[in-house]
Amino acid sequence: MTAAELKRRLRQRSEYALRLAALKDVGQRYPGRTARSALPPVGPFWRFLFVPLFRRVPWSFRRQAMRRLNMTARGWPEDARHFGEPWRPPARSD
Amino acid sequence: MSERLVVIGGGGSGTAAATIAKRCNPDLHVTLFSEFPDIAYSPCGIPYAHGREIPEFKSLFLSTVQRYVEDGLDMRMETTVTDIDLDRRTVTARNKHEGFDKLILCTGFLWEQPAVPGANLEGLHYVKDIRRAMEFDKELDHMKRAVVIGGMWLGVEMSGALARRGLDVQFIDEGPWLLSELVDPDVAEPAQEALEKLGVNVRMGTKLLGFTGGADGRVRAVSTSAGELECDVAVICLHKLPNTSLATSIGLELGTLGAVVVDDHMRTSAPGVWAAGDLIEVPHGLSMLPITGLTGSHAYAQGRVAGANAAGEDRTYDPVWIPWGFMSGDYTIGGFSIGETLAEAMGIPYVVAKGVGVSRARYFPGAARTHVKLLAEPGTLRLIGGQLHGGEGIKERCDFLAFVAKRGATLDDLAWMENIYSPPIGALYEPIQIAAQNGLAEHARAREQVPA
Repeated sequence: MTAAELKRRLRQRSEYALRLAALKDVGQRYPGRTARSALPPVGPFWRFLFVPLFRRVPWSFRRQAMRRLNMTARGWPEDARHFGEPWRPPARSD
Repeated sequence: MSERLVVIGGGGSGTAAATIAKRCNPDLHVTLFSEFPDIAYSPCGIPYAHGREIPEFKSLFLSTVQRYVEDGLDMRMETTVTDIDLDRRTVTARNKHEGFDKLILCTGFLWEQPAVPGANLEGLHYVKDIRRAMEFDKELDHMKRAVVIGGMWLGVEMSGALARRGLDVQFIDEGPWLLSELVDPDVAEPAQEALEKLGVNVRMGTKLLGFTGGADGRVRAVSTSAGELECDVAVICLHKLPNTSLATSIGLELGTLGAVVVDDHMRTSAPGVWAAGDLIEVPHGLSMLPITGLTGSHAYAQGRVAGANAAGEDRTYDPVWIPWGFMSGDYTIGGFSIGETLAEAMGIPYVVAKGVGVSRARYFPGAARTHVKLLAEPGTLRLIGGQLHGGEGIKERCDFLAFVAKRGATLDDLAWMENIYSPPIGALYEPIQIAAQNGLAEHARAREQVPA
């Protein structure tokens, strides 16, 4: 398996595990408005290790880690406004 | 000899790319290849033509091939490009080689197919090509029962359309609530009710197990975890998958979603090759994580950027904040960026600001309740997402919110925003303001409760 395929699979599986956990948690906030999910469950590694660990790490750190792993977009200007930073006007070239 | 640009794909992005390239550089020789016979039609309007809200399919055709030819484009319709040679700078179509200097790939998407028994039966319908849709529309006159599979928004639109057409419609999806990949439960609930009002039987938490065919090889039932559902047709509305076969054949870099990686100029990893539309991935403005499968307006804008740059301009495309919206029956839902469920999944911290207002003065006929839910970053209260539902004005509010979120607006900004008050078109107190004010009040209360 190539590094690209590995990253693709990592993203696919991790996103799915996180989505399942989020559906459960958010659904509990809206009792009576949801059905029992028929989405296929994930394995114990994702459920009991990955999801709780992912949630413990602060978002800013996670974002850095995703960037380091090249999971975020490259070739795009670093976002004009960092998360947590107030808006600033675009830089002027003149 | 003028430079030659080849555009592959005649959908929104391909058409935009070819047109804008020619407009920016009239000396460019622009050739567009499309495997389909038609150009410039609206596939997004297909469900509404089936539902007879649009009386005739021909209204969906916005222009003709001839008009593009008159604009100076070399239009190769019903011509599939089978090979690209980047070293020789040629494409092969109908066993003929055509040279190019620059290339834009706009090969779009393919529908995800269900991996269950019977998925190759006749009578499984995918919404894409307008000619096929027109044939399908005639078949609908003789059909009574339809099963719509998949919880993406097309499934909701098709369910509503087929119900309006008088069919007995069963909608099935594995998720715990309608559109659970995108929408929060509080927004899904009225959307589901609106579908049910039209007569659609919505079966959430229902797994597709397979398709059962008759002796004629045509689907006659859909097997699900809720039992067997008899039908004349099954409409499949799963995910859009980037159509990257040509891109892969020339070794373009693919990203973490299996789509073509581009930069903010729509440049691919190969020099002189751009890509736009459903086969590429672009970053979400909040997380910078690449995403794909966006709307027609995104594809169109990306095509314009790719076309302009291929013609020698210098245009950039921003990371996306994705305003979205659509009709579920007679009800409108929409949003931008992320909702609670996605924020929760990504582990993004947020506070919620909710409010309900009216779309125009409450005494004016036609006023509709407008529900607004905003997500903001704790501390700075910067806007990071939201979901809305109601009647008129949802679309415009979502467009506005996506734009101001991109520009860094906070709940404070929105709480004190100016708005139009004119009884037939706008209420005194804008629903977005109400939600933001409520959010600020909640935030202030929470701060007061924190022990010193």
